[in-house]
Amino acid sequence: MDLLLPALLGALQLSAKLILIIVPLVTLFEVLRYLPVFRRAGNVVEPMLRGVGLTRDAAIPLFTGIFLGIAYGAGIIVRVAQQKGLPARELFLMGLFLATCHSVIEDVLIFVVIGGNGPAILGVRLVLAVLLTGLMARVWKPA
Amino acid sequence: MDGHETTAEAEEVPIPDIPTRIRTGLSAGFRTSLKIIKVSVPLYVAVTLLKGTPVLDLLGKVFAPVMGIFGLPGEAAFAFVAGFLLNLYAAIAVIVPLHLTPFQVTQCGLMMGVAHNLVVEGGVLSTTGARGGVLTLCRLVIACAAGLLLRGLWSLWETAASWAMTLPGLS
Repeated sequence: MDLLLPALLGALQLSAKLILIIVPLVTLFEVLRYLPVFRRAGNVVEPMLRGVGLTRDAAIPLFTGIFLGIAYGAGIIVRVAQQKGLPARELFLMGLFLATCHSVIEDVLIFVVIGGNGPAILGVRLVLAVLLTGLMARVWKPA
Repeated sequence: MDGHETTAEAEEVPIPDIPTRIRTGLSAGFRTSLKIIKVSVPLYVAVTLLKGTPVLDLLGKVFAPVMGIFGLPGEAAFAFVAGFLLNLYAAIAVIVPLHLTPFQVTQCGLMMGVAHNLVVEGGVLSTTGARGGVLTLCRLVIACAAGLLLRGLWSLWETAASWAMTLPGLS
């Protein structure tokens, strides 16, 4: 009993922290998601996408994954990938990028809350994702 | 061509007004939080209680050689199991009671950030037509690579920092 009470208190404290991150984040996303800026962002990021072997068709699923995560952004990722008929090469490159670097806001925030170094986590993931995907794009030449 | 497609997409669903969006966001956020808490509270309590017993120490010793490669204690293996099979919230519920150092928390955040929720996300990745199994394997390999990279960078940083402190005029 002496152990159970602090354990429960700690668990509740952690839950409160998590709620304070998740609820505002999801609400903010709901408010912002319809802004036309996000629809036009494709033009701006096109040169960056080309560097990792992707075309602008991959922009929406890629950025959905980067910011929201694979599980949460699944609906958009799957739908757009099928609608645009992305070729296997691009699907693999996008998958590789997202495997390394996804859901960055939420993932980094929850580890910062418990004492991690945010810039270190984000930096290593982003650099690795760009390097790996860029490398694979050069190994696997477009057909 | 592309522009047409995006407008068509936008017209499919009418855009709700801001108060509706805030309500949707709040309720979705609370629903997600509830789902997460249902898993993380029992895990947190279980790990905290196990910490007082030899069970966690013993299992920790078994995993210590592997975890040690990444500068982590053996007990961190439980966080990895929770993170791989469930999600990062489950992993965090295990990490917090272990009282890790800032480096170790960062290391967990990095490695698990790359590889987590492998069952569900592996499924999602394969529905896009990409090879889900291959990508899941990639994630595990990348997580290890990232872990080694961060460990190297971090010790480099610390060496540089302690060296800088010895310079005259500083500290």
